[in-house]
Amino acid sequence: MVGRRDVPTAVVRLCRALRDRGVAVTPAESVSAVAALDHLDIADRAELRRALRVVLARRREDIAIVDELFDAMWAPAAGAGGTQPPRVPRPAIATRPPSPPRAASVWVDRWAPAGQADDEGEEIPLRAPSDRESLRRRDLASLAGEDVDAMLRVARRLARRLARRPSRRWRAARGGASLDLRRTVRWSLRTAGETAELARRERKVRRTSLVIACDVSGSMELYSRFLLQFLFAMQSAFARVETFVFGTRLSRATGDLRTPEWEEALARLSAGVHDWAGGTRIGASLDALARDWPAVLDRRTIVIVLSDGWDTGDPALLGDAMAAIRARAGKVIWLNPLLGSPDYRPLARGMQSALPHVDVFAPAHDLASLESLACHLVI
Amino acid sequence: MRAEIRRIQEMMEREAYVTDPSIATAVHLAMVLGKPLLVEGHAGVGKTEIAKVLARMLDTRLIRLQCYEGIDAAAALYEWNYPKQLLHIRLSERGVTSVEEQEAAIFGSEFLLERPLLQALTADVAPVLLIDEVDRSDEEFEAFLLEVLSDFQVTIPEIGTISARQRPHVVLTSNRSRELSEALRRRCLFLWIGHPSLDKELRIVRAKVPGIGERLAREIAAFMRSVREMRLAKQPGTAETLDWAAALVALHADELDETLVRETLGCFLKEEADHRALAASLDEGRLPAMASL
Repeated sequence: MVGRRDVPTAVVRLCRALRDRGVAVTPAESVSAVAALDHLDIADRAELRRALRVVLARRREDIAIVDELFDAMWAPAAGAGGTQPPRVPRPAIATRPPSPPRAASVWVDRWAPAGQADDEGEEIPLRAPSDRESLRRRDLASLAGEDVDAMLRVARRLARRLARRPSRRWRAARGGASLDLRRTVRWSLRTAGETAELARRERKVRRTSLVIACDVSGSMELYSRFLLQFLFAMQSAFARVETFVFGTRLSRATGDLRTPEWEEALARLSAGVHDWAGGTRIGASLDALARDWPAVLDRRTIVIVLSDGWDTGDPALLGDAMAAIRARAGKVIWLNPLLGSPDYRPLARGMQSALPHVDVFAPAHDLASLESLACHLVI
Repeated sequence: MRAEIRRIQEMMEREAYVTDPSIATAVHLAMVLGKPLLVEGHAGVGKTEIAKVLARMLDTRLIRLQCYEGIDAAAALYEWNYPKQLLHIRLSERGVTSVEEQEAAIFGSEFLLERPLLQALTADVAPVLLIDEVDRSDEEFEAFLLEVLSDFQVTIPEIGTISARQRPHVVLTSNRSRELSEALRRRCLFLWIGHPSLDKELRIVRAKVPGIGERLAREIAAFMRSVREMRLAKQPGTAETLDWAAALVALHADELDETLVRETLGCFLKEEADHRALAASLDEGRLPAMASL
């Protein structure tokens, strides 16, 4: 039994545990969390939990993690309403298996070995034997390299091709169509209050934005290196790209890719909290994109789906999800690496149900095929 | 439960805002810790309402900054009153004034148009500052907002630094149309409001739709619950529930029936595809809420 005085210590431990789980809790939040204790009835477990959610969660996804760790550390009291603070919390955290899949070993592991198609859609065991882990780590390391530069060149070319449109922000410009009163008044002071010269401004231009959703399931493993490079290169060539990866579940990878160094991006992707899985549920994943990320999709967005279309879910769901995305986005492009082979026909059921909602269906198996994408990147 | 939190909950309920302990706790902590509260949730769950109720509760001013694409400091913070400045220069021409004097004159506070953020900083009594739909603004604006929210002070080059007289109570809302930056999130406390539970929604309907029969209110709440379990392009929020309930009361309905639902489903479903989906469910008798009627 631990007394009330230990609640702050427990909260700090909770913060550390959250950090291990990828929730960005800085020391400042730990301070806030402890400060909040003064304003709470810390004997009320439910209240403590509600308050820690407010202080420590940063986004909706974090709430479940806060709850889970809280429950692990604060056993529900036997009596009603009371708190039984941390039952020896340290081991409780330490003995948790290093879940969820954060380590490189796990996500690489989830890329099923070549030849082992994921059509069964069955869960692949989460933890891998350590020898396989290291082997696969090596695979990941070999992704670094000189090809990245070539890919970056292609991405920059694509970036330039993306249509430009005026934004609602202004910038000073000599031949601008609109008057810039603020600068005009300033200038007039130089000439003793006489407006001798008019300052002008014009609209800034903004590029179309991109949303890329990349299939990282087992069946795509052959192209993983190539496609990850593509994602990385697009993210560096453009400001307005949102990147998502999916297997059985969608997760956002934009933050991980937003770094100038390819190795760094790779390391972050590996360490990220993506729930990599061997199976493929394209329908559910794209449905999540349409549903949970409502406004990454708008009329000025081009959506690029990178997938072979081997879906183990309900094809109708995929069709609906694609229709929903198509309805909101400016353009939908489906890049299928398999399309590079001359005798491929898009007969997979998933592919069949998605195709009616796709504007451009193109191959993506080598640099040349990605380069030829340029002509499609106009809304 | 802490007495203050219970009191906040009671006060919010008194302002006809049906709430729960999570919301009351978040509001309490935002007030005592002096941090902005970021509220996220689906459309129509009452995010904006929190700020409005808070202002009424504290009997203070509500200052609202509606964000939109392209919003900039001139719209959010301050703008010089250019016509007045030009007029002043013109009128003072005869007097012998140096450039410095003139500059000092026209860049004074009487030529300043205060926009919401500056109003919030200069208010004598701590106001409630509602920064609505912050996800609609762009990254540049978010960065600017960070500066204001971390120090509660702004610098106007011509005047100097203005610090908040009273730290405003800040509520930000977001629909998650864009992922907000980590830096902004770090400055804020976070509250997620999901769709209300059956019981909470029932209380909201009773509180907000006067003259509604108990039976109809129950049926509406149960029906909305099963509608939200369907896969729809746009899930109806509590705001839609209230619209629908008000419409049904106006039609003098005492209970739901299938025809009535079909005739009025435009009140809570705003997409044609969703209309078709619901009609299909009704045809096949797949809605659990209808089965119990």
